[in-house]
Amino acid sequence: MKVRRDLVLFVAIVVLFACGPLISPLVHIDLSILSEVLVTTLAVLSVNLLLGYTGLPAFGNAAYFGLGAYGAALTVTYLHVDFVTAVLAGAVAAVAGALLLGPFLLRRRGIYFGLLSIAFGQVFYFIAYRYTDVTGGEDGMNFPRPPFGPGIAQVSINQVQFYYISLVVFVVAMIAFRAVVRSPFGRTLIAIRQNEARVRYLGLDTDRFIFVALLISALMAGVSGALFGLLINFAYPLELDWHQSGNFVLMMILGGAGTIWGSLIGALIYVIGKDIISTITPLWQIFLGALFVACVLGFPRGIVGSISALRRIASDDPEDAASNEAFDVSAPIEVGRGV
Amino acid sequence: MLEATDITKAFGGVRAVDNVSVAVREGTIHALIGPNGAGKTTFFNAISGFTFPDHGRVTFRGTDVTRTLNWRRIVMGMGRTFQTPSVFPELTVDENIRLGVRAHAKQAFQLRAPRGAAAAAVDARVDELLGFVNLAAHRGRLVAELAHGSQRLCEIAMSLSTEPVLVLLDEPMAGLAEAETDRIMAVIRDLRQRLGLTVFFVEHNMRVVLALADRITVLDRGKLLAEGSPQEIARDDAVRRAYLGSEVLERV
Amino acid sequence: MFHDLAPQLFNGLVLGAFYAIVAIGLSLIMNLTGTINMAHGSFMTLAGYLAYSLVLRGTSFWFALIAAPLIAVIVGIAVERTLVRPLYRREPFYSLLMTFGLSLMAEEIFRLIWGPNGVPFSAPAALSGAASLGFMTFPTFRIFIVVVLVITISALAFFLTRTRFGLRLRAAVQDTEMIAALGTNTQVLYAVNFGLGIFLAGIAGVLAAGMLGLSPTSGNALLMPAFVTVIIGGMGSLFGSIVGGLLIGIAISMTTLFIPAASEVSMYVLMAIVLSVRPRGLFGEEGIFG
Ligand SMILES: Nc1ncnc2c1ncn2[C@@H]1O[C@H](COP(=O)(O)OP(=O)(O)O)[C@@H](O)[C@H]1O
Ligand SMILES: [Mg+2]
Repeated sequence: MKVRRDLVLFVAIVVLFACGPLISPLVHIDLSILSEVLVTTLAVLSVNLLLGYTGLPAFGNAAYFGLGAYGAALTVTYLHVDFVTAVLAGAVAAVAGALLLGPFLLRRRGIYFGLLSIAFGQVFYFIAYRYTDVTGGEDGMNFPRPPFGPGIAQVSINQVQFYYISLVVFVVAMIAFRAVVRSPFGRTLIAIRQNEARVRYLGLDTDRFIFVALLISALMAGVSGALFGLLINFAYPLELDWHQSGNFVLMMILGGAGTIWGSLIGALIYVIGKDIISTITPLWQIFLGALFVACVLGFPRGIVGSISALRRIASDDPEDAASNEAFDVSAPIEVGRGV
Repeated sequence: MLEATDITKAFGGVRAVDNVSVAVREGTIHALIGPNGAGKTTFFNAISGFTFPDHGRVTFRGTDVTRTLNWRRIVMGMGRTFQTPSVFPELTVDENIRLGVRAHAKQAFQLRAPRGAAAAAVDARVDELLGFVNLAAHRGRLVAELAHGSQRLCEIAMSLSTEPVLVLLDEPMAGLAEAETDRIMAVIRDLRQRLGLTVFFVEHNMRVVLALADRITVLDRGKLLAEGSPQEIARDDAVRRAYLGSEVLERV
Repeated sequence: MFHDLAPQLFNGLVLGAFYAIVAIGLSLIMNLTGTINMAHGSFMTLAGYLAYSLVLRGTSFWFALIAAPLIAVIVGIAVERTLVRPLYRREPFYSLLMTFGLSLMAEEIFRLIWGPNGVPFSAPAALSGAASLGFMTFPTFRIFIVVVLVITISALAFFLTRTRFGLRLRAAVQDTEMIAALGTNTQVLYAVNFGLGIFLAGIAGVLAAGMLGLSPTSGNALLMPAFVTVIIGGMGSLFGSIVGGLLIGIAISMTTLFIPAASEVSMYVLMAIVLSVRPRGLFGEEGIFG
C-alpha cells in the first residue's frame, strides 16, 4: 500500500515537472532555475546517501560536484566533445576523485571523517584555483554548450531541451536511488548509521560498504556538477569549495535527512529561495546563514522528516508505523555526551 | 576451539588485562567471572577483535587470529553480544535479524533484493531464529521499544544469524529480573543442547554461573585468579577472598 | 633564489605559528564537545576588525591586542551558551552546520560594517622596522608575532597542565561523565573551554591582520590550513598541533618559493603522506574519537 502511495506521488511530481515550461512563465521563475533545481537535487541526494543514510558527515561532496563541472568544462573546451560525453567525463572525474580520496576518508568515522572530508575536499579547489593555464584559475572557464550526441548535427541544446534532459536524468536518478536504499546493500548502509560495530559483528566489512557508497555518491555528485556546468556554461573554483559542500548539507537537512523526497524539497526551496531573495536584497548570505542556524536548532528533522513523524503519530496501525520508520531515518540522534 | 595465550591490554598506565590465558574447549559452556572492572569485557574485546591486544596470541579453530579484523572472525564462525545490547534500535526485530541472515547468505552487498528460493530461505531462517529466542510475537516492533530482556534476546538471535560455532556473551543477564534471567538461561542451555554451539559468557550471578557452566575462569584486577570446574571454583580460597563481603559468597 | 631561503623559512615558521595557534583553539573545542567550529575564522576576523576600530579611535595597539580578543571571547561565549549548547546532545555534524551558518552571517555582517574590500591595519611604529640578526635581517613585527604566539601557547600549556581548572578540563576530554560525577560543573567547563579557543583565535586574528591583511574573509583563509594542522598533528594533541602547524608553514613557504602554483597543494601532499604512515596523525591518541 505504501509502495503504491509512493508511486502515485512520484508520477504526479514527474508530470508536474514535465509541465515546467508551461508553469515557469506563470510563476515568474526562469526555466533555467527549474533545471537547476533538478540538477541540484542529484547533488543533495549524493550527500544524503552518505550523511542521511550511512551517517557519515560528508562535508566534502562539493569536490565531486566541482570535478564533474570541470570534467565537462575541460573536455568540451579542449576535446570538443558532445553533451553526453561531457557528462560522462564529469562523472568519471568525480569517481576518480573519490577513488583517490576514499582510502584516506575510510580510515576514520564520525567527526574525524567530517574533518578529513572538509580538508581533502578542498584540495581540488586549490588545484583549480592555481592551475590557471588550464582552468582559468579564479576566473573559471567559460565554455559553449555542445550538441547532444556524436552523430547529431551541430545544433546546440536550447533551454527547453536542456530542461527535459535534466528531467530524464532526475527521474532515472530518483528511481535508481530508491532502488539502492531499499536494496539489501542500502539496508546495510542504514544499519551502519545506527550501529556500525554491530554490522561488523554480523561479519560484514563496513569499509567496503562505505567505499562503494562513497563511489555512488561521487557518481551522482559528478553527474550533477557536469550538468550544472553545462547549464550555466561555466566552471569556477567556488563549485569545489567547502561552502558549496555546506550548502548541499543544508539542503539535505532542510528537506529531511534520510528521505528521498527531502532532497528534492531541500533543493527546490534553496534554489528558488536564493533566486528570489538575491534579486530583492544583496544580503542573501545573511538569510542563508540564518537558515542554517534555524534549521539546525529548530528543524533538525527537516520538512519531510517532520511530516512523516506526524503521520507516524497519527497512524493507528503499528505495522505501518514500523515500516515507515524503517525506511525513514530522519530522526535526529541524541548522543549522550554527558550534558 | 578458542585459545587465548598471555593476553595483555593496557589503557594508559592501567593494565586492564594482564597476561591472561584461557582455552575454551569445543562443546563446553565456559564462564568468565570477576568483580566489576576486572577486565572481562576488555578480554572479550581482545579475543573478538574489537581491539587488538598489546601482547599475546589468539587462535580460533586452529588459526591465529590475533590481528584478524573483527568481521573476518565472524565469518570464521565467531558470534558475540555486548554488555549493553548492541542492536539497530530504529529497525524492527525482523529487520535486525534479517540483516544478519542476509550477511551470512552473502546477500548484504546486493543491489537487488533476492527473490524466489533465496528469499524464501532467508525468510525461513529469520522465522527459525525468531522462534528460537521466542520473539516471533514482536517481530514487527522497533527494537528500541522492546524491554531490556527482549533486546538481549534479539541480540543473541542476531549473533546466531551468522551461523557461529562459538558465541561470546558479555553479561547476558545484567540488570534483568529473575524471570527474564531464567529465560536467557534456558536459551543458553539450548545453544549447546539444541544447536551444539560452544558458549563463552561473562556473568556476575554465581547462581547462574554454577548452574550453567562446565568450566569457569576467574579474573581479578586484570589477572587470572583461578580456573576450574564449578566445584573447584566454589572451593577456591582466592576466589572466595576476591568476592569477600559480596552477597555472592553466601550463595556459594 | 637561494638567498631567499632563510627569510622564506622564517616566514614559514611565522605562518606555521599562526596555523598552530588556530589549530589548538579548534582542537580544544573539538575535543571537549565534538564541535568542529567552522566559525573559528570569523572570530579571528572579528578580533582583527575590533582591534582596527579600537586603534582608529585612538587606543594603543597594545591595548587593542588584548581587548579585541577579549571582546571576541565575550561574543564567543554568548554564542556558545545560546546556540551551540543545545546541540551537544546531538550528532556533531549539527553543530558543524550551525557554526558554518554563523560564519556565513558573520562574513556578510563584517562586509556591512567595515566594507567589502578590506582595511589597512598596520603594526605600530615601534614594531615596523627590521631587526638584524647578523647574517640577515627580519621584519620586527614578524619577530614580535613569533614571541607573542610562543608566550600564548606556553601560557596555555601551563594552564592546562599546572592549574586545577586546566587539569579538570583535560580530564573532562577523557571522560565527561566522570567529571560531572565528581562535581565539576560541566557547563562552566564547556563555556570556559570555548572562550579559551576563541581567545587564541582572537590573538591570532589581531596579529594576522597586521601581517596578512584584514578583510571579511581573511580569517577563513587560515581555517583550512588549521584543519590540516589538526589532522597532521593528531586530534587531541597540543604538541601535535604545534609540530603540524610548523611543518605546514614550512611546506607552504618552501613551495611558494620554488613552485608557487603548488603552495596550497603541498599541505595536502604532506597530509596524505602523514596519514598513510600514521592514520591518527603524528601525535594522535587512540580512542577519543572513533
Ligand atoms: N576504552 C578504555 N579506555 C580506558 N580504560 C578502559 C577502557 N576500557 C576499559 N578500561 C578500563 O579497564 C578496566 C577493565 O574494564 P572492563 O574490561 O570493562 O571490566 P569488566 O568488564 O570486567 O567490568 C577498568 O578499569 C576500565 O576502567
Ligand atoms: Mg564488562
